[in-house]
Amino acid sequence: MTAVPPGGTGPPGGSDVPDVDALRAALDGVGYLADDALATALFLALRMGQPLLLEGEPGVGKTRAATALAEALGTTLLRLQCYEGLTAGEALYEWNYPRQLLSIRLAESRGVELGDADLFTEDYLLARPLLAAITHPGPGPAVLLIDEIDRADDEFEAFLFEMLAESAVTIPELGTRRAVVPPVAVLTSNRTRDLHDALKRRCLYHWIGYPDPRRVEEIIRRRVPGAADWLAARVADAVQRFRGLDLLKPPGVAEAISWTTALHVLGVTELDVPAAERTLGAVLKYAEDSDAARAAGLATLISRA
Amino acid sequence: MPEPASRRSREGGSRLPGDLPALVARFAAACHDAGLPVGPDRAERLARAVVTVAPRTTQRLRHCALATLVSDPAQIPVFDQVFAAVFGGLVDAAESRGDPNAPPLAGAPPATVAPRAGEAGGAGVLQAEPGPAAAGAGTAVPVPGVASAAERLAGRDFDELSAEELLALAAAMRRFRVATPPRRSRRTRTAPHGRRTDLRSTLRTARRTAGDPVEMIRLAPRRRPRRLVVLCDISGSMEPHARALLQLLYCAGGGAGAEVFTFATRLTRLTPALAHGTPADVLHRATRLAPDWSGGTRIGEALKRFLDSYGARGMARGAVVLIISDGWETGDPALLGEQMARLSRLAHRIVWANPRTRQPGYRPLVGGMAAAWPHCDAVVSAHRLAAIDDLLAALADPVPQRTARTTVR
Ligand SMILES: Nc1ncnc2c1ncn2[C@@H]1O[C@H](COP(=O)(O)OP(=O)(O)O)[C@@H](O)[C@H]1O
Ligand SMILES: [Mg+2]
Repeated sequence: MTAVPPGGTGPPGGSDVPDVDALRAALDGVGYLADDALATALFLALRMGQPLLLEGEPGVGKTRAATALAEALGTTLLRLQCYEGLTAGEALYEWNYPRQLLSIRLAESRGVELGDADLFTEDYLLARPLLAAITHPGPGPAVLLIDEIDRADDEFEAFLFEMLAESAVTIPELGTRRAVVPPVAVLTSNRTRDLHDALKRRCLYHWIGYPDPRRVEEIIRRRVPGAADWLAARVADAVQRFRGLDLLKPPGVAEAISWTTALHVLGVTELDVPAAERTLGAVLKYAEDSDAARAAGLATLISRA
Repeated sequence: MPEPASRRSREGGSRLPGDLPALVARFAAACHDAGLPVGPDRAERLARAVVTVAPRTTQRLRHCALATLVSDPAQIPVFDQVFAAVFGGLVDAAESRGDPNAPPLAGAPPATVAPRAGEAGGAGVLQAEPGPAAAGAGTAVPVPGVASAAERLAGRDFDELSAEELLALAAAMRRFRVATPPRRSRRTRTAPHGRRTDLRSTLRTARRTAGDPVEMIRLAPRRRPRRLVVLCDISGSMEPHARALLQLLYCAGGGAGAEVFTFATRLTRLTPALAHGTPADVLHRATRLAPDWSGGTRIGEALKRFLDSYGARGMARGAVVLIISDGWETGDPALLGEQMARLSRLAHRIVWANPRTRQPGYRPLVGGMAAAWPHCDAVVSAHRLAAIDDLLAALADPVPQRTARTTVR
């Protein structure tokens, strides 16, 4: 769980975004370039109180879309990273057992016996991201990022579905906690498996495709501000051509950024074959892919558009 | 300074007419008719989205509709066709991202949009294009004589079947269930001899002894089916078998969760693709991606590639691995042997489906199959529908039976 307190960067009372254009500008302000479709989907999630499912290949900016949304709104981000075997205890809440045991011992030394009502109270409750999102006091809603939901198993998906549908969680010992300010829930999936229809029906949806080279160029400029303008453009074009090859791991936005960073740090003044060779590992992740790029002709792949 | 104007220009696209609610309702209904899963709930959601965003252009309207009606990238082409049909007169060429071959825009009734392939049920899902069966009504109608036809086809080898005959087997294939033996999951249940402790329950009991946890409540892991990984040879001689077994996996219950790879001279992961297309599409794409199959099969290399890229990183660990290949290795059989040994250290079970073993008395003496054989837990022929039960039994068998394992002293 990562709780990011309201940052100083967002506009005060930032959840008061009047329209899609304003949200798009606010995201831009925190370094995230959203196209109109994504900005519309995020705006709808914010206003309609419905979870948003973002799907797309790895590295297209799904996770960053949610964190940028929280930043842009100046609100708390609660993040749950999913993995196989994730349990409710890790996602929702856990009792603070050491503290409970300590209390039992203390009570015993005073000759008192503690009961359920004394031990299973708010004081001993450790809120994990889902409970923290439900109990978030506001004033604005928290952003709840449920990252890579495709990695969790079906049982967790079903559990999450109920929680999202009710905007409430039930703690047997304490009763039902209903959200005061329901969170803006953003779910991401790399689509390693299909999610349940029921969950999909509940969510707004946006598919993030790989952006066109000019947008990639813009993203690179934002993320590697020191790099020369020509370099951002050349990397964006070359990455686009790499993606046309049949690779094991086609480079995404993240790879375009790290390749630019590598070239920039090495201080290259021209993107030629030797420079590309020295930095190829930053953009192509498998030796086979590097070989495929060489076979296709590195010089052509990195040539000026 | 003229703020509203600049906003309008950022929105892009042409302006929208006043009777939007009626158009929006018509659009949602047309999406439904075209086979998209758009029910009243989604239609209502779109209506709310339009009120919330108040789009002034068709482009922004399209984005509202995308967020509320679509739930899979594969639906977007159909969505765009319907969008063009309903809002056609309003869409600029520049902003239409639909299929360039979409029907003419203005005024075209949404009914011209073809039903989705697959909506017709039966064999329809397996067709790349809607065939005669799918082109008619959008509902499944039981076809008389299907069962008897399937029975007749069940006894013929896959490589004797035409593409149509293979599709006719789809209904019969749906009756199979692919199951793998269970493994322990990270989730738990209470069990008297479990290895982990349930702190919550232990603590509850401990209160009776003033905080001394005398009685430990134990947890044992729950059981879930093991992952199934399929490596399928699509070189020339194997193509009909590959097609049939992938179709089986697609149709049978429990097969959908499998990780699927194809190989001839290179390895292609089909799993993400299978989520989008039908096996026919996917296999077609895979063969196109690997046009070099006439160059022979490099099973050992493909296996190495699989292990390096996926298997060793966890995909093969504890999994049931099904290799579909006739074992004709044009590479070095020694490499295949090495890689099989590597795989057998990771996998729970290795099942090899080799149609050549349909000949009674087939024994691999040399080459790839001879090198691979000792590392397999089972070798089955799976060459026709009537032989599929053996394959399924081999996959579900919980006991490893490797000769390499049992003969080593
Ligand atoms: N539209 C964008 N604007 C700014 N940065 C982006 C954009 N898309 C991707 N990135 C950057 O690319 C990298 C990968 O993004 P990430 O959100 O981790 O991808 P995903 O979650 O889809 O795998 C991050 O460094 C992110 O900041
Ligand atoms: Mg991510």
